[in-house]
Amino acid sequence: MLMAKRILLVDDDPDFIEINRMILQANGYETDEASSTGEALEKIKANDYDLAIIDLIMEELDSGFSVAYGIRDSERTRNMPILMLTSAQEKTGFRFELSRDQEWMKVDDFAAKPLSAAELLTRVQKLTGEKTI
Amino acid sequence: MEKSKGYILVVDDEEIIRSGCREILNLHGYKVDVAENGIQGLEKIKENEYDLILTDIMMPEMDGMEMLEQVNRLDQDLVIIFITGYATIESAINAGRKGAYDYLPKPFNPDELLAKVERGLDHRDHLLEVKKLREERDLNLLQCSNERARTLTIINSMNEGVIAINRQKQIVLLNPMASKIMHLSEGRVIGRTFNEILRNPDLKKSINDSFEKAQSQLRSTRLQFDTVYGRAIEASITPIMDENKVCIGTVAVLFDVTEEKKIEKMKSDFVSYVAHELKAPLGAIEGFLNLILEGVIADNPEKEHEMITKARDRAHGLIALINDILDLSRIDRKKSLKEMGPVDIGELLKETVDFYQNRMDSKSQEMNMELQPDMPPVLGNKEDLSRLFANLVSNAIKYTPTGGKLSILAKVTNSHVAIEVKDTGIGISKEAQEHIFDEFYRAKNALDNKITGTGLGLSIAKKIVKDHRGFIEIESEEKKGSIFRVLLPVINQVR
Repeated sequence: MLMAKRILLVDDDPDFIEINRMILQANGYETDEASSTGEALEKIKANDYDLAIIDLIMEELDSGFSVAYGIRDSERTRNMPILMLTSAQEKTGFRFELSRDQEWMKVDDFAAKPLSAAELLTRVQKLTGEKTI
Repeated sequence: MEKSKGYILVVDDEEIIRSGCREILNLHGYKVDVAENGIQGLEKIKENEYDLILTDIMMPEMDGMEMLEQVNRLDQDLVIIFITGYATIESAINAGRKGAYDYLPKPFNPDELLAKVERGLDHRDHLLEVKKLREERDLNLLQCSNERARTLTIINSMNEGVIAINRQKQIVLLNPMASKIMHLSEGRVIGRTFNEILRNPDLKKSINDSFEKAQSQLRSTRLQFDTVYGRAIEASITPIMDENKVCIGTVAVLFDVTEEKKIEKMKSDFVSYVAHELKAPLGAIEGFLNLILEGVIADNPEKEHEMITKARDRAHGLIALINDILDLSRIDRKKSLKEMGPVDIGELLKETVDFYQNRMDSKSQEMNMELQPDMPPVLGNKEDLSRLFANLVSNAIKYTPTGGKLSILAKVTNSHVAIEVKDTGIGISKEAQEHIFDEFYRAKNALDNKITGTGLGLSIAKKIVKDHRGFIEIESEEKKGSIFRVLLPVINQVR
């Protein structure tokens, strides 16, 4: 039997966690949650995930990057796919472009939130290596 | 004449601060006088020639801010350092704007005190030097009979820094303002090349370019740079040509734009904060709507209702936030546009509590009010003051659990009405207290307890208090509760 993919949702806004959790659970994914950089890094250390979806701006403007770097720093989680989300590119002054910024951002995909269910699922399927139907 | 270490006046209403400062400073060879309040302090300042004043902000009779304003009128080149429990950037900027040189946050240890005093006295030396130059210059003005001396006098009185460089790239003129903003002393730099003296690479390059490119482009160039002392400078570099169009030197005119830059940055930070804070709830609302429209929860009407409710709550929060932002900008508007008049604080507090009675009842909270009868009125804007108390009382209710106790105390102390709003709620950590009046700041325990808020209520409160020349401070312990104290000056009574 195929094991359900397990996804870690990291966001300090509980509503965004809930929205993404509902979309993912309705489509057969298992989810886990963290609401801060520290909690996210602890959970990543303790559990195995097939994907992390991380909000960029939490307690700091670049909290999301701290989590991403934490994931890449550990041998065990180095290859875990990361989808970074943000609601405020204006705030950081950046216009991120995956092709140009992927190297230093250490993430596999980047998107403005909120993502519609269809968009989110397409990205998740691609990142967890499933074939789209 | 032997140079004394410095003559210092300590103004504070607390005996322990006065005697403590006196002891420490005497021990290190300073001469010290003390005063208990602004009026006493001012008298002493008129009698004696002090080098430096250490003064508390909040004092009976006359407070530190008012004393500072009066001292400024005396024009004695005094260095003023505020001793303040309000160790916030705002109060420091405010004091600085009014002419204070530095501030010393309470509590402090002897080393901190001495460091501030030494730095202040260095500045005093600098002021006296500038004063001497100014006096010499004034004298010169009387004597000046030729064009050159007159021109030099004008250059030296300019509010902009001027540095003139000759063909050999030596500095030949440095006016007092240039010496001040670039931290250079005239005696040390005249005759030396600018490459030796100036540190900023961009500035050096522009001056070099002005020599090399002078023939092709006569126009001046502009640049901006920061000095190592953290000042933002705008410079205009202009080559000087002789009649044969040969460059015979360069003049750099320097403008200190530090304050302007600070305000600019505050403005743009605020705009990006607002943009982010507005986007987050809208994003959540869109997300909830997506869930419903895309049929993710199609066969679960209960869940769907929950999602719609959550979207509506975020919309409510967004409206509250927009109202707060509008209030902030309204309060920021020119004070003269607002109606100021006598306001009865006791009456206003009763109205506020009446307004929130239902909310307190629904949380079974008990409110204890102790208002001194017949308090004199405060000069203020009633709408603003009503907003101030509404913010403090609604916070007290919000952060206090069901069944908790609240109290409001108001009484007259000297020239102020003192108001205390006390709760028995979750409290604010020491760390969070430092930021609690910052725009959009929310304490971590407030977020952990999922208490909603815009993060603007207390910064609005602080702005209102400041507009009324009052003071606000907080005393709090986590899990025990918080006390917000407000002092508002009463209307001067006609004798």
